[in-house]
Amino acid sequence: MTNTIDTSIYVAITEAIQGEVRRILSEGNVSAVIGYAAARRKGSAQPTVIVQPDDAEKLIFSAACVNNLAVYLTKAKKEIPKTGKIGIVVKGCDLKALVGLMGESQLKREDLYLIGVPCAGVLASTAQPAQPLTSDTIAPKCRECDARLPTGCDFVPDQQPVIPELERRYSAEIARLEAMPPAERWAYWKEQFKKCIKCYACRQVCPFCFCEQCLCDRNKPQMVETTPRPAGNAAWHIVRGMHLAGRCAGCAECERVCPMDIPLNLLNRKMAKELKELYNYEAGFEMQEKGPLATYDEKDDQSFIK
Amino acid sequence: MPMEEQMHSFEPKIIAFVCTWCTYAGADLAGTSRMQYPANVRVLKFPCTGRIDPVFILKAFQQGADGVLVSGCHPGDCHYIAGNFHARRRFAVFRKLLEFVGVDLGRLQFSWVSAAEGGKWVEMVTDLTERVRGMGPMRDFEELALEEQWSGAITTPELQEAYDSI
Amino acid sequence: MQKYLSQQNFIALLSKLISDGKRVVAPRLDAGTPLYGPLADSAGIVLDQLPRRSAKETFFPVCEDIMSYDKVGQQVTLTNVTPASFPETILVGGRPCDAAAIPVLDAVFSWDYKDEFFLERRRKTTIIGLSCTQADDACFCTAVGLSPADHKGSDLFLTPVEGGGYACETFTEKGEALVNGNRDLFAEPNGAQALPPAEPQVEKFDLKKVKAWLDDHFEDSAWDGIAVRCVGCGACAFLCPACHCFDIVDEGTEKTGKRRKCWDACGFWKFTHHASGHNPRDLQPKRYRNRIMHKFKYYDDKFGQTLCTGCGRCIRFCPVGIDIATIVSEIGKK
Repeated sequence: MTNTIDTSIYVAITEAIQGEVRRILSEGNVSAVIGYAAARRKGSAQPTVIVQPDDAEKLIFSAACVNNLAVYLTKAKKEIPKTGKIGIVVKGCDLKALVGLMGESQLKREDLYLIGVPCAGVLASTAQPAQPLTSDTIAPKCRECDARLPTGCDFVPDQQPVIPELERRYSAEIARLEAMPPAERWAYWKEQFKKCIKCYACRQVCPFCFCEQCLCDRNKPQMVETTPRPAGNAAWHIVRGMHLAGRCAGCAECERVCPMDIPLNLLNRKMAKELKELYNYEAGFEMQEKGPLATYDEKDDQSFIK
Repeated sequence: MPMEEQMHSFEPKIIAFVCTWCTYAGADLAGTSRMQYPANVRVLKFPCTGRIDPVFILKAFQQGADGVLVSGCHPGDCHYIAGNFHARRRFAVFRKLLEFVGVDLGRLQFSWVSAAEGGKWVEMVTDLTERVRGMGPMRDFEELALEEQWSGAITTPELQEAYDSI
Repeated sequence: MQKYLSQQNFIALLSKLISDGKRVVAPRLDAGTPLYGPLADSAGIVLDQLPRRSAKETFFPVCEDIMSYDKVGQQVTLTNVTPASFPETILVGGRPCDAAAIPVLDAVFSWDYKDEFFLERRRKTTIIGLSCTQADDACFCTAVGLSPADHKGSDLFLTPVEGGGYACETFTEKGEALVNGNRDLFAEPNGAQALPPAEPQVEKFDLKKVKAWLDDHFEDSAWDGIAVRCVGCGACAFLCPACHCFDIVDEGTEKTGKRRKCWDACGFWKFTHHASGHNPRDLQPKRYRNRIMHKFKYYDDKFGQTLCTGCGRCIRFCPVGIDIATIVSEIGKK
């Protein structure tokens, strides 16, 4: 049965965001705000940068506001002006990415004005922007969300999202794959990685892929093939999975933007599950100066070491 | 037994990533003590297990290794104090990733072998070599490397001949 | 010539071509994603959605080997891929936005260097185009002068008609040869009315006016605003039926390896990164400017054509919702 999800709060949230942005821009303590604006396609939204108080009315929040805007604050994006305080509209998942970035010394909390959004969910990549938010069209990541009300922000509209209990898809799929013999799992991932065309959309939207030069773009030495052949694709995704382990905040942007529908967030959620089981670590809740793979405990598990 | 005879014709390629101060010295001790062990292992020396990037393990499998051994100092004995502690976490996570993607972890072994443990080195190498011998060659990456996107695949006998005529 | 092809005969035609040993490339589901690819079975064809990637890969593969090398002792052998070896192919179900891009690509691949990898595949392929009866709000073929019923690029063009089946028309010798070689499957036109073609909603671009603005505004602050949200991936270029940039890389070991030609995109920061370390397109607005310039000015300057067929894939799959139709529309209004 398809449940429609109540997004009526988004109207009030939009107004609240517009009011707050108009205020902070005219008061001059924030030089620019990164948020969402309506786009041409019916029901769609796109990231935008607002610098004039009068432009604040262009900001919206709806179920089509899928982007993780945190990527625009990383050093990979040199075009966004970084002078003065920057305001940013964040959903709970986006905020987790920001927390991770602050922990990795990529951002300073005092340079940001965080506008948190109480979120009932956003649309999946398979849905058209004009479709209503239902249990069929909601993004898989939203089904497992534990951050509907962002905390620690400078401004949060006081609406409360009401969401029905939804089946957790990632956990079920991970369990299904874990139960397979290795050969079957390899066949599954081979079929998925074959579709990859190395467009690097997954890397470019990821807030944590901010290396000035990605390992996979280097040829001295060349550790990962650059060509979009099944072998090169598998190597790319394995390396990226490892580089995100313990850092990935689960915003699932990688999976959303993949033009070939590769279930990338499955890999990242699996790694998050392992990090939790091995070291009781969950990314995005606390600003950690050192991530789980940059620290150690003398009593770490070594049952796999002879 | 016929099965064993068949298996013995396959000589696994084992790549061992070892640390200089403990495992490499332990392997050296095995050698000077004239301990015999399978010659299938190719040893790559690193200053510390902390220097071993998980991508090296991936590359070893991609380039034809049938089994990979990673070995270093016991926790607390690292020449660089904490290198092996960091490595321990890194490898714990990476092996889970490889397992999830479908690599059989029987081919990947981690161990702590100290400079005095020549016997343990022999045991680790023999263990892995015989286990991998039983598992057969690691074909997954080899077969994957031969696959192409359909648009670039060799589909005609003429094209195949052009490649085979090398 | 004009014919009628019933739905049943259409499937029978595909089966016949497959069993004749021809490679039939058509939209099908690949691990759940609709993509053009070789059909093993005519029942696998999927015609209710636009394939995720365009038909260009039939002629311009995602990745192909162009040479191999082998070293035995000191002896090095180089083996070229022979274009004559490419298989005979029928591309079925090419939508007007996909099929019309092929003649556009012909221009650049047969320009100062005749790219035999592309041209030989072109020679060996017959294109069966298919008219569109549905469009979404990302489609804008009409804005660039095409239409959902346009046969440009097709050797044989199918238009769905009422009562099922397709009205067919041949436009080239290849198309005629296909019909003549399968005469028993094609009937005389039955007079059925064509189903109404799709109606993309985007207003027609004044391409001349757009080009005139682009000619004079290489340095314009507007580019910063246009490209501010671009994250620099290659999704738009790779999904585009008309984008054709490629990279050539050598992959292998000292003893053996391959030289490969694979897709590349001007959106990547590395695209114009020089060995010296200098990058003339060091910021994203410069890279995005190149995309618009190439499509709506440079290609016109060189070949008199627009490098865009309005398929809308870049709009649908841009990670950050960049809408090229809006951008070009607004440029035309400046």
